[in-house]
Amino acid sequence: MWRGVIYRLLQAIPVVVIFAVLVFMLLQLLPGDPAVAIAGSEATPEAIDRIRTQLGLDRPLLEQLLSWFNRLAHGDFGKSLILNQSVVSAVVERLPVTLSLAFLSLMITLPAGISLGVLAAYWRNTWLDSFVMVTALLGVSMPSFWLGILSVILFSVTLGWLPPAGYVPITQGLWPWFSALIQPAVVLALFQIGFLARITRSAMLDVLDQDFIRTARAKGVDEWHTITKHAFRNTLIPVVTVTGIIISLLIGGSVVVEQVFALPGIGRLIVQGILARDYPLVQGTMLIFGFSFVMINVLVDIVYMLVDPRVRFG
Amino acid sequence: MLPRIPRSFLLLSIAAATALFATSPSRAQTRGGTLIYSTVGGPASLDPYMAGSLIELEVIHEIFETLVAMDENYNAKPMLASKVDISNEAKTFTFSLRKGVKFSNGQEMTSADVLASFERFKKVSTNAPLLADVDKYETPDTYTFIVHLKSTNAVFVDLLKSSTYPLVVLPASQKDKPAREVEIIGTGPFKLGEWQKDSHLILLRNENYTPDESAGDADGFAGKKTVYLDSVRYNFIPEANARLAALQTKKSDVIGDLTLDLAKRLDGAAELSTLKTFPYCQQYFVLHASNGLTANPLIRQAVREVVNVDDILAATGILSQRNPSMLYPPSPYYAGDMAAKYYDRKDPKKARELLKQAGYNGEKLVLQTNSNYPYMRDSILVLSEQLKEAGVNADVQVIDWMSNSNNLQRGTGNWNVSTTSFCSPPLLGPPQWKSTVYTFPHIEKDPAIDAAFDSLFKSADQGARKKAWFDIENRFLDQAYMVKVADTGSLRGYNTTRVGGLKPYFYLRFWNTWLK
Repeated sequence: MWRGVIYRLLQAIPVVVIFAVLVFMLLQLLPGDPAVAIAGSEATPEAIDRIRTQLGLDRPLLEQLLSWFNRLAHGDFGKSLILNQSVVSAVVERLPVTLSLAFLSLMITLPAGISLGVLAAYWRNTWLDSFVMVTALLGVSMPSFWLGILSVILFSVTLGWLPPAGYVPITQGLWPWFSALIQPAVVLALFQIGFLARITRSAMLDVLDQDFIRTARAKGVDEWHTITKHAFRNTLIPVVTVTGIIISLLIGGSVVVEQVFALPGIGRLIVQGILARDYPLVQGTMLIFGFSFVMINVLVDIVYMLVDPRVRFG
Repeated sequence: MLPRIPRSFLLLSIAAATALFATSPSRAQTRGGTLIYSTVGGPASLDPYMAGSLIELEVIHEIFETLVAMDENYNAKPMLASKVDISNEAKTFTFSLRKGVKFSNGQEMTSADVLASFERFKKVSTNAPLLADVDKYETPDTYTFIVHLKSTNAVFVDLLKSSTYPLVVLPASQKDKPAREVEIIGTGPFKLGEWQKDSHLILLRNENYTPDESAGDADGFAGKKTVYLDSVRYNFIPEANARLAALQTKKSDVIGDLTLDLAKRLDGAAELSTLKTFPYCQQYFVLHASNGLTANPLIRQAVREVVNVDDILAATGILSQRNPSMLYPPSPYYAGDMAAKYYDRKDPKKARELLKQAGYNGEKLVLQTNSNYPYMRDSILVLSEQLKEAGVNADVQVIDWMSNSNNLQRGTGNWNVSTTSFCSPPLLGPPQWKSTVYTFPHIEKDPAIDAAFDSLFKSADQGARKKAWFDIENRFLDQAYMVKVADTGSLRGYNTTRVGGLKPYFYLRFWNTWLK
């Protein structure tokens, strides 16, 4: 198994390098000038040029790319133009927010998505199945910014149950942390619940038609054990795959939700960076994101090997 | 003869002080508490010399102060200087500093700090050309600072009041700090407490703050500042609905950047109200005077002739009001009557005549705007329809704000008409319009405007300066380098049962504001 893990890690290196080059090139393709964002819309062209020189934006692209790679090789992800702090420290400051949001959202998504999928499959072609699938479709279809706004109006303004925006670190108390995050976490989870429920239902339907399920029932195993012990365990491969994707989507989806609920996380950092054409910030953050996604996939592969001993890599 | 400016910088007389005392508002103010203000975003940097965005400046003016500051009527008034003496030829400016003014670190402000600040400003500021004509500085004693210019500049003091890229006084220890790396130490009523970028910023009462006891009540950025609040917390909430919800749920005392639509949700809420601020900014159509069709003044004038302001304002739905001029009343330079003949022309027939004279033959006229600011996009869409009515082949391009702004400032992107808003120059007055006028490289240097600006800067007589500005504004609007749309306002919301003393102004000011 360790050989497989090392093989997957080695495979990840060229992926991250290619990703880094792509991120750099894509950002350069974006129109707009970071010096303009920093100088302000009323600055003179001379002032803008002065800032471009200060930031090294007047150097050739290849020189900027090589210089970035050189710094990356030394563990330096660069310095944000607008925040005036290192990209790594900016990301580290905001990581707890995004991870808290993703964690809470995942804790809602997994039980809700899997159980809804299993229920829909077990009672296939009944009103429950239709209800779950329509709800899943709605969850997948509704934009999270719109859901977020509706949720704030209902739960914060009308009912007064939850704070409308902002983040409270867990160090200031479990309840304040939870009440600040539960609303955005549910909004973020709704899309993933629908997605996971549909995949789980589909995988479960395949398994429920298998001979070994029929055999288990014929041998008199009760339905609870047939479903949980025999059927569900055999749906785990697609569910684990989707869970890996969902974790990536949760981090990606945080870009919108953090903006709506004013959560100072990595998603908001990226939006801020893109709007201001803060190349080092966006490059560094995207690279850290990309690296995380690659690692999540490696982890998913390891889980495959644990769940199904037949799976081997390398 | 001395220019009129220095007279306005004499210390307030005892009579004025007595009058102030007699007319002070009832002192129901209470001291203490934390006011929570939710804004659309937080500052990227608090280096005053690099600060051009309203978000940054709103915080900066609570922490730092300038030698002279802008009052309610946009005139320069002493702040850290007690008076300014100007030599006859307006080349030497002697600033007498207020004694006993302390920075938030407890150190007293002296002429050495002022000198170091001017030197750092020249080195790092985006607005460094402000000091380009300085010959030398002198600090004959602890409380006197003298600026010698190479040539006459009758409006130098007026330029120093600028609230954008403000030339605030920093401790001399900050002299060699690179751009955006300055320590946040000012002489203002508040000092920086906690700052978590993207989340919140907390200002604390500056216990070392030394108010100008001789000044009148708060007057713009000038006047006596009294600090009642223990602290002000700025929460950065980009989503407008969430900001409004924060006010409605009493998680915020004041919120910024409300739209007219959202403000309707405050109707009927007894304890919540809106705070409308005029003047704030001015919206213009900018015409590319060195690209294709709009290089021809007749075409530019045709564009001006089709503009129907009311239709545009109805479509944009932002807080706005009509004003033909590039300045606001009661500025002595306000030229509303003169500018009226170029404003809200809504005359497509005249536009057709001008187009015919220009030999227009249905070529494409590119209108470029952005999707980030809906009011800009909507006003360009309405303008395109108005142009089509006059027979113009208008092509609308909607791009992102960064690209749009970049194209505007560099003249790139092959556009003919675009739109933007100016906030500082209309407030600060004619001298500040100069750099803005020439910000756009596509507005060709116009000898008539150059000569008038030269006269404006060199005339000691205000009458002559006024005439120079009228010539500039007339030329600018006549040649349709830009077409004025409207004055746009700022709409904020606040809790009337919680907040006292809050007055509408260009930036929110939390001095002389208290919690009830």
